[in-house]
Amino acid sequence: MNRLMKAIGFVVVCFIAAPLVIVVPMSFSDARSLQFPPPGYWLGYYEAYFTDMSWLRPTWNSILIASATTVLTMILVVPATFALVRHKFYGKSVANVMMLMPMAVPHIVMAVGYYSYFGQMRLVHTHLGVILAHSCLSVPIAFLVLSANLKGFDRTLERAAQSLGASPMRTFIHVTLPILRPGLLISALFAFIQSFDETVVAIFISGRDAETLPRKMFDSIRQEADPVIAVISTLLFVVVLIGLLTPYLVKALRGRLRKTNAGSEAPPAALAPQE
Amino acid sequence: MSSYLNLSGVNKMFGDFQALDDVNLDIERGEFVTFLGPSGSGKTTTLMIIAGFEQATKGRITIDGKPLDGLKPYQRNIGIVFQNYALFPHKTAVENVYFPLQMRGVGRREGLEKANRMLELVGLKGFSERHPKELSGGQQQRVALARALVFEPSLLLLDEPLGALDKNLREQMQIEIKRIQKRLGVTTIFVTHDQTEAMSMSDRIVVFDKGRIEQVADPLELYHRPNTRFVAGFVGESNIMAGHVVDATAGLAECAVFGSCRYPADDRFSNGQAVNILIRPEHLKISRKAPESGEWATMTVDTIVNYGDNALVIGHSGDHPVRVRVLGADVVIIKEGEDCHISWRPEAVHIIAET
Repeated sequence: MNRLMKAIGFVVVCFIAAPLVIVVPMSFSDARSLQFPPPGYWLGYYEAYFTDMSWLRPTWNSILIASATTVLTMILVVPATFALVRHKFYGKSVANVMMLMPMAVPHIVMAVGYYSYFGQMRLVHTHLGVILAHSCLSVPIAFLVLSANLKGFDRTLERAAQSLGASPMRTFIHVTLPILRPGLLISALFAFIQSFDETVVAIFISGRDAETLPRKMFDSIRQEADPVIAVISTLLFVVVLIGLLTPYLVKALRGRLRKTNAGSEAPPAALAPQE
Repeated sequence: MSSYLNLSGVNKMFGDFQALDDVNLDIERGEFVTFLGPSGSGKTTTLMIIAGFEQATKGRITIDGKPLDGLKPYQRNIGIVFQNYALFPHKTAVENVYFPLQMRGVGRREGLEKANRMLELVGLKGFSERHPKELSGGQQQRVALARALVFEPSLLLLDEPLGALDKNLREQMQIEIKRIQKRLGVTTIFVTHDQTEAMSMSDRIVVFDKGRIEQVADPLELYHRPNTRFVAGFVGESNIMAGHVVDATAGLAECAVFGSCRYPADDRFSNGQAVNILIRPEHLKISRKAPESGEWATMTVDTIVNYGDNALVIGHSGDHPVRVRVLGADVVIIKEGEDCHISWRPEAVHIIAET
């Protein structure tokens, strides 16, 4: 039984990881279009990516739009989450549903909506239009992450801070914010990734001027199956990997630093309580 | 002369529920006062009103003659140790203790020095750079205490701070808290539902029940002369029997269980008044033979609980349960299921008015 489960697990993992295994070698391929296994290897497509403005411009667009989306999302989500998690008010459950709505509605529906609605406001084919649309899609994700964090936050800590002489504002800055920092960072990261990743809405409204990387990749694979796509996929994979591993690396490094410090420290005083 | 901390006519409503009903209390400077009561009795609510986290529906509170109304919690200069300690997880022990000084504009160098001295006072020398999660429960407790004291608060509030500790550590911390409190001379209110904790630590105990103060007294007074049946039952073990006064001037009462009982005459009672008769278990003496003089009754022994140095004998007289505390050496004279005699001296009998 146990063996069977392991075998099934192995197959599933292989199946999930397969795209990665295929994409990485394809980025080094010298074939003229996407082909697996690659007939030979070279770095030509990396050079092509880093020298071709028609790839670099969408990359820049994507970074810009994702950054702006993250900022706008957090400006909206942080106060909204505090209000929805901590306070009772009339229409709260409706507000809660509204926050999550963009996640429930299919992206294609949202995209069509934005296309016609933003068209009238002359926001189609502009950075601002894409940022607004992406923020709308990022809000529910960022909200879910942050509200989970905030629900687990022990409010006695805030009371303690106030009893120690901190005004509500200083309590927020010195206690609430630092303790929620990991939650805020993850929430922002999710907002960034969702925007960077988003394709459907971008295809509809980003146009030529605000063209994002996923849109450009989609166009490219439809027209010519340019292996540069594999290069970009590999680069994105590496970036995400670094992002995911950083916290662990930092933690491990800190642990080692503390150990060295503790080693050089004087032994605890004899006065120390025996507990 | 007016007291240091004064509560007068404090009422608190939560919707229709009256959490506090006309609480009046005076506490002197430097006193260690315990709020004792079951959960929901209003002791924590009173504490939170003093701290400023709850608003009294009615009534006023003054510290050193200055009213607290309208002052926010952070303007009150009151130190609090919370039940779960509420240490800031992202700060080290010394940074936690420095925090109230930082909020008062004390410079980092001077503040950290002062925080370290306070940690030393609570016995945590050498632990200042640790984060809360690297400290044991007792150590976290000490950090919380240091943090609540370092800014020289006008009042120290302790909200069931020992609840999460095991028995040995709890006793150790009781002594420790008392020592530090005496040394700094800070006026302290300690909230607990544990009556032994209240007895061992307090200058005075305030017993709460159902949002009202039942009695304010020093521990021995509270134990030996409880004002109400609730206090008698809540503080220490007790035998409480319903009866009535026969002769108020001579000090004679009667109850169905023990028959007639003499008690120290008290002119607050009148002939025929319904009363409760209280005799503490350790004031009852067990013997096999009937005593030749004095007052006594018979009892059937049901259970004997041995603690080594002493034993609790649980039995019944008629159909009323009786508890007797005997010294460990004396327990050999009786066995479960047997009948025996119990006797007591009139001074041990305390009469409580039926309310």
